[in-house]
Amino acid sequence: MTSIFDSLQQSLAFLNLDLFMLLSLIALLGGTVIFLVMAVNALVAVYFERKVSAFMQDRLGPMEVGILGFKGGKKFWGGIGQTLADAIKLLTKEDILPKSSDKFLMILAPFIIFSGAFLTFIGVPFAQNIVISDFNIGLFYIVAMSSIGVIGIILAGWSSNNKWSLYGAMRAAAQIISYEIPIGLSLLLVVIVSGSLHLGDIVQWQESNRWFIFHSPFTFLAFFIYFISIVAETNRTPFDIPEAESELVAGWMTEYSGFRWALFFLSEYANMLIVCIVASIVFLGGWLSPLHLINIFPESWYILDGPLLGLFWVSFKAVILIFIMMWFRWTFPRLRVDQLMYVCWKVFIPFALANLFFVSLWELIF
Amino acid sequence: MSEYLNNIVYGVKSFLTGMKLTMDHFRNKKELVATLQYPHEKWPIPERNIGFNHSEYNLIRSRLHVDIDDCIACMQCERACPVDCIKIDSIKPPKGSEIDCGMTSNDTQKKMIVSRFTIDMSECMYCNLCVFPCPEDCIYMVGGPNAEKHEIDYEFSQYKRDGMIFDFADTTDEAIRDAGGEKWLDQRDATLTKHNDGVQLKGEVKSVKPEPTAAPIKTGAPISTTKPAAQTTESSGELEIKSFNGISDKMCRGIAKKAFMAAKRAGKDAVAILADVAQALSEAGKMSDEIQSILDRLSVSPSKAVAPAVEAGGDIKVESVPDTPEAVEMKEFDIKDLNAIEDKMVRGTAKKAFIAAKRSGEDKVEAVRKTLADAGKLDAAAEDLLNSFSGASVELSAPVEVATLSESAEEAAVEPKGDLPLFEISDLNGIDDKMTRGMAKKIFMVGKRAGKTRTEVIADLRLGLTEAGKLDDATDAILNKLKSEN
Ligand code: SF4
Ligand code: SF4
Repeated sequence: MTSIFDSLQQSLAFLNLDLFMLLSLIALLGGTVIFLVMAVNALVAVYFERKVSAFMQDRLGPMEVGILGFKGGKKFWGGIGQTLADAIKLLTKEDILPKSSDKFLMILAPFIIFSGAFLTFIGVPFAQNIVISDFNIGLFYIVAMSSIGVIGIILAGWSSNNKWSLYGAMRAAAQIISYEIPIGLSLLLVVIVSGSLHLGDIVQWQESNRWFIFHSPFTFLAFFIYFISIVAETNRTPFDIPEAESELVAGWMTEYSGFRWALFFLSEYANMLIVCIVASIVFLGGWLSPLHLINIFPESWYILDGPLLGLFWVSFKAVILIFIMMWFRWTFPRLRVDQLMYVCWKVFIPFALANLFFVSLWELIF
Repeated sequence: MSEYLNNIVYGVKSFLTGMKLTMDHFRNKKELVATLQYPHEKWPIPERNIGFNHSEYNLIRSRLHVDIDDCIACMQCERACPVDCIKIDSIKPPKGSEIDCGMTSNDTQKKMIVSRFTIDMSECMYCNLCVFPCPEDCIYMVGGPNAEKHEIDYEFSQYKRDGMIFDFADTTDEAIRDAGGEKWLDQRDATLTKHNDGVQLKGEVKSVKPEPTAAPIKTGAPISTTKPAAQTTESSGELEIKSFNGISDKMCRGIAKKAFMAAKRAGKDAVAILADVAQALSEAGKMSDEIQSILDRLSVSPSKAVAPAVEAGGDIKVESVPDTPEAVEMKEFDIKDLNAIEDKMVRGTAKKAFIAAKRSGEDKVEAVRKTLADAGKLDAAAEDLLNSFSGASVELSAPVEVATLSESAEEAAVEPKGDLPLFEISDLNGIDDKMTRGMAKKIFMVGKRAGKTRTEVIADLRLGLTEAGKLDDATDAILNKLKSEN
């Protein structure tokens, strides 16, 4: 399996650059692609989220702002330019640094969070061969990199010199560190069964056997534990106690504005995309088409199955998962801190451990 | 343990219930979305009967309407209104006059002309009490689904609070005058002027004050270059009652004029007259900076030759002396000076006009000003530029009598930054054609309410009349006269 990195290296070979120049060129190109993906993702996802929340609350959401006069659908899906306008507004806003904040750390924090999301993208495959760099230990890399953000969150909370921010940061740290455990344990099931940390191999395994979510009752459960835990990991409602606007103003983001706040926003939605892509790759068959699940489709439909459509299927599954995350967000009220910890330590972790045990048994028996 | 498991089962159950609920809303958004995209969509007004036997009035009370042709000005509605928001003025044509006030649709002979019928809907409380006493059924609420006569319009939003005062009277000034309403018209115009002045004064007292240097430069220039003594003696006789019109406060103006007349009858000279006026004003406690400076302007010419007898005259002498050199230094108006105009288009127009004026030997400043005003491009910056030259060019172009100058200086001094004061609506009476006159007056009032300057209003008039194809030579001449009359 090749990666974007490899193919770029090959196709740029004719330039006869020395290795250092070549690598920086590739890094630049790859970085631009990632950044574009993140930006477009945030623009689209925010619009989508606002619409979903509006419809669930019997509202209409943004309806007026268009792009070059085109507002989108008349009845429900209007206002497609809203998030773009918001982004421009955000970038032109005043960038406030509180007087008694720790200025260096405060400026640093959003970039750490952003780099966390950015670095994670390097290992995330969007389809077969469409991955910036193809790691052997891709799954491990992604789990490791997505925890970098928590450092940024703590720095942001601390450097703001604001009680709300610090509370928010502490809560975020406690929450993210706690929920890493059920996430890790659920992913471990997959690693045990497929015997690889390489995301391509995991999909390979699902192709020759079956999707992991249908592998056994235990992986089925593991998927839900994983999915709910990633909602908590990305600090989204109902697990958004670090931001908890009704208690903590905006949690660790309270003192941020303008561009740095936009970075937080970008990273939040990027993280959402990452965890959903990982969930769809690990549990939902990645770039495999769902047509094989029930063999009722005519033969001609299987062109949808081609390798070119891998990108489509991954994004399709990821979008559905993102929609479910939004659906969560606009359904449930925020958990209390103790309830949050209860769910993690007393429900998810015991169940994930039991899952691990039973899946190992399952593997022994079958 | 069982409690633990029960909790989990309960959690999953309520989880699903919640998800189902929101999904239902998401899926059924077509029926459930409650938002009304307000300016694009509007709720229909619910049908409602106001409770009396007026089946044709079966409508929601959203605004009063008056069929003014049927109104006999009986004042019943005005009297009935508990909040006094209806104001009716009527004029009874003098006995024996041939004026026919018209018939109502109930075949009642109207005996009066309704010169004003305003309803302040911002005060109205929609009690409908004014509707019932009307003998002609001509005042009523409109704006419901069953209103056939009138469009459904329940917003009646206005950008300004003034807009909430709806005027239903449609009598022309002409008709009012014919019916002997001269006095009423005067009164109305006075009120309008007063309001207008009030609006202009509001928070900007400073801008009404004269420019400290502008006037002395103008008056100073000819005095320093021509024979001063001869002119001042002449001009002392030119002090007229009109000179006090620049005083904006009505009371003060009255006092000043009274004092002036008394002094004049006593045969005093200009300096003494001014002294009297100043005294009268300060006795009444009305002496403001503004008036002081007007008096100063008036006294410039007399006091130049005669020793300063009055304080006011004394002041101006001290002031005007240092100003005089500036006036002498003023250079001639050159085409290069127009480069200061920023807008390319405006600059082009101005230069064209300049060259044309130079060829024909007209006053260049005036020519440029006129062209710009006609093109509607005369903004504050250009105006300033031209004003800075008008003093010099006046001096160069034609010998102007000091009296006229001092008067123009006085007028220029009252208005901010050399804008001429707005002329009176009655100045438009010179227009022969009735239609044209009406139109011109309408435009004038619009301009006046918007606080426009003289040039702007004249430009508006020209534009409006040209558009209507009514700008004939006579009217054009009147407008030109108004423009140059200063
Ligand atoms: S509805 Fe009532 S408040 Fe309004 S104008 Fe008539 S009487 Fe006056
Ligand atoms: S009651 Fe009727 S007729 Fe009389 S003044 Fe009012 S609107 Fe006119």
